[in-house]
Amino acid sequence: MLLEITELTKHYGGLVAVERFNMSVGEGEIVGLIGPNGAGKSTVFNLVTGVLKPTKGKVIFDEKDVTGQKPHVIAELGIGRAFQLNPLFAGFTVFQNVFASFHLRPKSSLLDAFFNTATYRRNEAYISEQSMEILQLLGLDGVKDELAKNLPHGHQKLLGIARALAVKPRLLLLDEPLAGMNSGEIDFTMEAIRKTHRAGVTIVLVEHNMQIMDLCSRVVVVNFGQKIAEGSPSEVRDNEEVVRAYFGGGGCCLV
Amino acid sequence: MQLTLITIINVLVLSSMYILVALGFAFLFSIMGILNFAHGAIYMVSGYICYQLAVEWALNQWLSLFLSVILVGAFGLFLEKYCFRPFFGNLNRTIVVCIAIIIILETTVNVTVGTLVRSLPAFVPGILRTGFISVSAEKLVTVMIGGSLLAAMVWFIRRTKLGQQMQAISQDVEGAALQGISVHRISALACVLACGLAAVAGCLMGAIFNLSPFMGGHMLLKALELVILGGIGSVGGIFFAGFVIGTLDATLPLFIGGAACEAIGIGVIIMVLLFRPQGFFGREAG
Amino acid sequence: MVEKRLSKRNRKKLIQPGIYAGVIIVLSLFPLWIKSPYWTHIFILTFIYIIATVSLRTITISGQFPLAHAAFMGIGGYVAAIPSKWFGWSPWLTIPLGAITAMGIGILIGYPFARLRAMYYAMVSLFFGIGVLQVFFVFQRWTNAYHGLTGIPPLLSVTSKVPYYYFFLGLTVVCLSILYRFEFCRIGMTLKAIEQSHLVASSVGINEPRYRVLVLAVGCFFVGLSGGAYAHYVRALSYTSFDLLATLWLFMYVLIGGIGSFAGPIVGTALLVIVPEFLRGMKEFVPYISAAILLIVVFVMPEGLVGLPQLVESWMKKHREKRAVHHAS
Repeated sequence: MLLEITELTKHYGGLVAVERFNMSVGEGEIVGLIGPNGAGKSTVFNLVTGVLKPTKGKVIFDEKDVTGQKPHVIAELGIGRAFQLNPLFAGFTVFQNVFASFHLRPKSSLLDAFFNTATYRRNEAYISEQSMEILQLLGLDGVKDELAKNLPHGHQKLLGIARALAVKPRLLLLDEPLAGMNSGEIDFTMEAIRKTHRAGVTIVLVEHNMQIMDLCSRVVVVNFGQKIAEGSPSEVRDNEEVVRAYFGGGGCCLV
Repeated sequence: MQLTLITIINVLVLSSMYILVALGFAFLFSIMGILNFAHGAIYMVSGYICYQLAVEWALNQWLSLFLSVILVGAFGLFLEKYCFRPFFGNLNRTIVVCIAIIIILETTVNVTVGTLVRSLPAFVPGILRTGFISVSAEKLVTVMIGGSLLAAMVWFIRRTKLGQQMQAISQDVEGAALQGISVHRISALACVLACGLAAVAGCLMGAIFNLSPFMGGHMLLKALELVILGGIGSVGGIFFAGFVIGTLDATLPLFIGGAACEAIGIGVIIMVLLFRPQGFFGREAG
Repeated sequence: MVEKRLSKRNRKKLIQPGIYAGVIIVLSLFPLWIKSPYWTHIFILTFIYIIATVSLRTITISGQFPLAHAAFMGIGGYVAAIPSKWFGWSPWLTIPLGAITAMGIGILIGYPFARLRAMYYAMVSLFFGIGVLQVFFVFQRWTNAYHGLTGIPPLLSVTSKVPYYYFFLGLTVVCLSILYRFEFCRIGMTLKAIEQSHLVASSVGINEPRYRVLVLAVGCFFVGLSGGAYAHYVRALSYTSFDLLATLWLFMYVLIGGIGSFAGPIVGTALLVIVPEFLRGMKEFVPYISAAILLIVVFVMPEGLVGLPQLVESWMKKHREKRAVHHAS
């Protein structure tokens, strides 16, 4: 198991955001995390990546206990993340966004960077190459010199994914990667996700759009901070409780 | 006995004046998200306006105080509308605007009244004597005015609708707006109050101590100490911190030299910052 | 081949270093033209303040606002002056000592707040900036803060200001080169990333607190250095040079010149230190003018005066386009 989440709980005073959540993800899987709005899906991501500290429970990544570690440590360990509301380095260009995100691998020391050593120059050239590759994978190489804040929404989301890939993650957490995209963009993004997965990255997806569930080998359903169902996409689609959660709780289409 | 009484009066004077200024400063921070470091300059200018009116133009001193408060309060309105409201929470712009305000105010003082230390005559000259106790009437009156204003403020915040609206905004701006609270009007009110209170303090303190170009920075320091110590967003905390700092400032100089007292005060604050950045009563920071 | 060399992009790449080189050359020749010690002095002060303002701006690229920057200059100044004046240490030793002390205290103040929102560091440094002056008063015996510390040993044993001029020109060039490199290598890029989104930055492995403390250390080091050098040049220190107002003036220089570019503080400082010398009669009113310029620049020209050429260029372009449309119709 690459990622094991056990009894993860987050309380905000009296409010329960996530309650005794359990999930495991094996290496090489694509797992979907679905549920109505406010079910706690993004909160689970925040808890795993260290943006929030869990009240209870454990997160174990690659046999190591990473519960409550700071976000940058989590990134170092190999977990990458794309955010739902997609913050970016708005003032940087598309290329710079990805280029700046290559902070970890390869890592140049501060002195190397300052004194422009051969190691640093080599690393920077390599990072440049890699950045272009990622941009090409996601079809953003055409706009690489555009400022991130000037991009249309769909491109911005792709940039968010590109940025997460710069971490060279073993596990990639995508939070609503298809939100706000038109059908052309959706197809393209799904293909990009497939390609990334084929390259060996384990992926956990949060989505409303059931179309993407077909990518997943397994789907976990969350409502009110608790896991209510788990199984293959078809199993989950027929599950009564899931249908109730969506139609009763104001989720999206079960197409 | 005499010394104790004088010290107590000094504690009350300093505490009430510090709280007066710090409260306004805290309002601006918690309601508008503005770190108004021009607040000290506003405090100072009020004292100088009073001086200009009362000494240079020989108006009645109480009238001068009143006018100063009105003027500075109006300035507060101007500030809120044109300087602070557009930059709600935007630290960059706030800094720029505060810089400009401070420079303009300080320069105005420099070119009109001048940089020498001036003395504002006492509002209530003389000393009250009863039996074997004598107290400076000025300080007594200052404490009374300060105390009443503060009591009025507490009543206003806790009991009136407007005050509660202010509390609501300081906790959650969007939520308050959704409830139909006019954020702009309340902010304007908060700003006017903050400036008005600072003005009162400026004039009264100018009469007890001296008017100097440094009083602004000094009072800003005190306001910051109170807010840091008492915690942002907690009125009770500011009162508590006011008394603590006021007591320290009134009693320590009896034992050690003036500068050392200030340094001790600063040391205390730094300790608090290191171990409890949100102050004694504040909400969680960060 | 010739066409390639003079292509627009390559031309642009040479403009910036070209300007810097040109300015340095002109400044080096300056004392040969202007023999007035007064103007040499003004230029030296400008150099010193440029180091202070550029280091201030360097800190701001991480999104932090060092509202105590002039106080650190004072720390550098007093730590350099005191051992030198009272214990006879060499200024060449005490000036770096002052810089290191400023750096150390900068780290001390910044470290607890590196994890919190920038607003908290702003408040604390504001507090520190005003408060540290009191510390100068406590050590009155050495700082002579009430009357001003005089008789500080000189850095160079010369009677003319010209050697000082070259010393400070050289010092400024070295300091600015270091700060420039710092900003435009990956370190600077990481700081700018943190400023734009600390959420994204931490998700790609950037250790935000560490970088924030790093930039504070660097910024405080250089402003401490400028303070120490100032002390051993002017040979007298008055605490009013290092109070809150002094920090605000430093911010003014940076904002007017343009906080977004490296050359901004240089332009702003040079302008606001040198130009008032021509308005000697109106010196009292200079702050009004500066405040007015500040407000105009910040709201109309957010890039500051450094952005003026671009502004003019885009205005001329628009004008040309308008005329083209006019002619076409």
